[in-house]
Amino acid sequence: MIKSFGYGFKEGIKLFGECVSTLINSLLLFFVYLIGVGLTSICARIVGKKFLDREIDERESYWNELDIRRKSVAEHLRQF
Amino acid sequence: MYILGISCFYHDASATLLKDGELVAAAAEERFTRQKHDTSFPINAINWCLESAGVGIADIQYVGFYEKPFLKFERVLSQHLAMFPLSLKTFLSSLPAWLTEKLRVVKIIKKRLKYDGPILFVEHHLAHAASAFLVSPFARAAIVTIDGVGEWSTTTYGLGEDNEIHLMKDIRFPHSLGLLYSTITAYLGFTVNNSEYKVMGLAPYGNMDRVSNEHYQRLRHVIDIKDDGSYHLDLSYFKYHWADRMLGNKLCTLLGGPVRAPESELTERHKDIAAAVQLILEDVLTRILHHAYKVTQCERLVMAGGVALNSVYNGKILSQTPFKQIWIQPDAGDGGTSLGVASYIYQTILGHPRNYTLRSAYLGPRFSRSQIKEYLDRGGIRYTEFATDAELIERTARLIYDNQVVGWFQDGMEWGPRALGARSILSNAGNKDMQEILNLKVKHRERFRPFAPVVCADDAQIYFECDQPVPEATDFMLMVYPIKKERRKLK
Repeated sequence: MIKSFGYGFKEGIKLFGECVSTLINSLLLFFVYLIGVGLTSICARIVGKKFLDREIDERESYWNELDIRRKSVAEHLRQF
Repeated sequence: MYILGISCFYHDASATLLKDGELVAAAAEERFTRQKHDTSFPINAINWCLESAGVGIADIQYVGFYEKPFLKFERVLSQHLAMFPLSLKTFLSSLPAWLTEKLRVVKIIKKRLKYDGPILFVEHHLAHAASAFLVSPFARAAIVTIDGVGEWSTTTYGLGEDNEIHLMKDIRFPHSLGLLYSTITAYLGFTVNNSEYKVMGLAPYGNMDRVSNEHYQRLRHVIDIKDDGSYHLDLSYFKYHWADRMLGNKLCTLLGGPVRAPESELTERHKDIAAAVQLILEDVLTRILHHAYKVTQCERLVMAGGVALNSVYNGKILSQTPFKQIWIQPDAGDGGTSLGVASYIYQTILGHPRNYTLRSAYLGPRFSRSQIKEYLDRGGIRYTEFATDAELIERTARLIYDNQVVGWFQDGMEWGPRALGARSILSNAGNKDMQEILNLKVKHRERFRPFAPVVCADDAQIYFECDQPVPEATDFMLMVYPIKKERRKLK
C-alpha cells in the first residue's frame, strides 16, 4: 500500500511539475510573441517588408530561382 | 563505408542504411511502434537497420538528416511575423517542440545514438529529388518534387545527370499544391497528412467532367495557374499559414456547406468536391511536367514528394505529357527522404559513382521459417505447414477462387505506404461484392476505398488501358490505369 501511495505521489508531483512548466513556458512564450514577434512585425509593416509572398498578380510566372547544385561537405554540416 | 539517413520530427519518420552506396536496410518507424505516420526519432528503425547489417554505430561514417532545421524555423518565424497577432495560438503550441526537439537535432542524434561523427543536412526537396533520381534506373532524368512544404519549397523541378542533381526552380510556401489537397481532405472530414489517398479514391465516384462539375469551377477561383504550371493560392480561403486549421469559412461558403463531420454520410456533393480537387491537381501537374520537359529536354522523368503518391494521376503522365519513361520510388513521401539524404551524401557530396538501382520494395524486417514457426507454436496458433511452395500456392489459389480472404505474409516488409504482396490481403478481384466485404468486414473502413488488382506484367494489356511497356513504378502500386471496358463486368 505504501509502495503504491509512493508511486502515485511521485506521479502526481511529476504531473504537477509538468503543469507548472507548461504554464511558465506559455507565459514566457506569450511575452516573446508579444514583444519579439509583435514589435518586429509592426516595424516590418511600417517599412513595407513582406515575410510571405501572398500575392496573386499579373506576373508571367510564379517560379522562383532556386539553383541548388552540389556543395561541399562543410556546407552540409550547417543546419541552414 | 556505411551511411545512415534519418527522417523524423514532421511525419513518417524513417531510417535507411547504405553500405558503399548500396541499400542494406530501410524501414519506417511506424512499423515498429504501430503508430501510423509516427514522427518520433526513429530509434527502432535505426537499431533494426544496424542489426540487420551486423554493424554498430561506431561503423557509421556519416549520418544524414533530411532537411535543414534552421531554414525551416526561419520559415515558421516568417509565418508568425507575417500573421501577427493571428498566429498567437500556434506560436504557443508549436514553439516548445522546436525548442526541445527540432532545433536540437544534432544533440538528439549524438545522444540517442552515442554517435560522434559528422552529421550532414540536406534541403528537404533535395532529399526528395535524390530519393527519386539517385536510385532510379535512369542516368539522366527530369526531376519533379511536390509535397506539402519543406523548408520553403513546396514544388521544385530540375535535372539529374549521373551523380549530380540540379534543382532549378521552386514554388514557395504558403503556396502549395499538397496543402491545397490536404485542405480539401480536411474539408471532407478526413485527417490531414494521412487520408489524402482517401480523397484520391473518392474522386472517381464524383463528376470528373471539368465543364459540368460546378465545384471544379468554384475551386478554380482558389488557385491561379500560369501556363508554365507555376501557381499561387488565394490565401483568403485558407488558414494553414497561421492557424491549426487548414481552411477558413470563406472556403466553406465557396463549396456550399460546412466541413463534413468525420464518419458522417458521404454525399454526391462531397464526391464531386473530391473529383474537383483531383482535377485541379491534374491540371497543375500536367502543366508543370510540360514545362519541366521543355526546360530539361529529357524524356525520362522521376518524381517524389507526397503528391507523387497520387497514383491516379501518375497513370496518366505518359499519355498526357511528352515524357516517355517514368520512375517513382516506393516511398515517395517524407519517409523516403532518409534514402534520399543517404544516397545524396554518398554519390553527390562525396562524389562516388552511382552503383545501385532500387528494384525491390522488400527492404524491411524479414522473418525466417523457423522464427515464424516458433512464434506460432509459442502463441498456440493452429497452422498447416506446406511441404512445397507449389502446394502452398495451389491451396491459396483455391481459397481465393472460393471467395475466401487470405492474409499473405512473406519476404521483407514493404518500404513505403503500399502493401505490395509481402504484408497483403488477397482476395478474388472477379467478385463484385469483394470490395465491400473487405472494406466492411476485414478492414473496417469506408466502403468506397479501392483495392489494387494484381496481374502478371505480360497480361496487363488484356485487362488495363495501360502504357507499354508497363512502367516499373506499377510494381510499387504507384500508377493506376483504367480497366478495359470489356473487362469491367463482374459476376
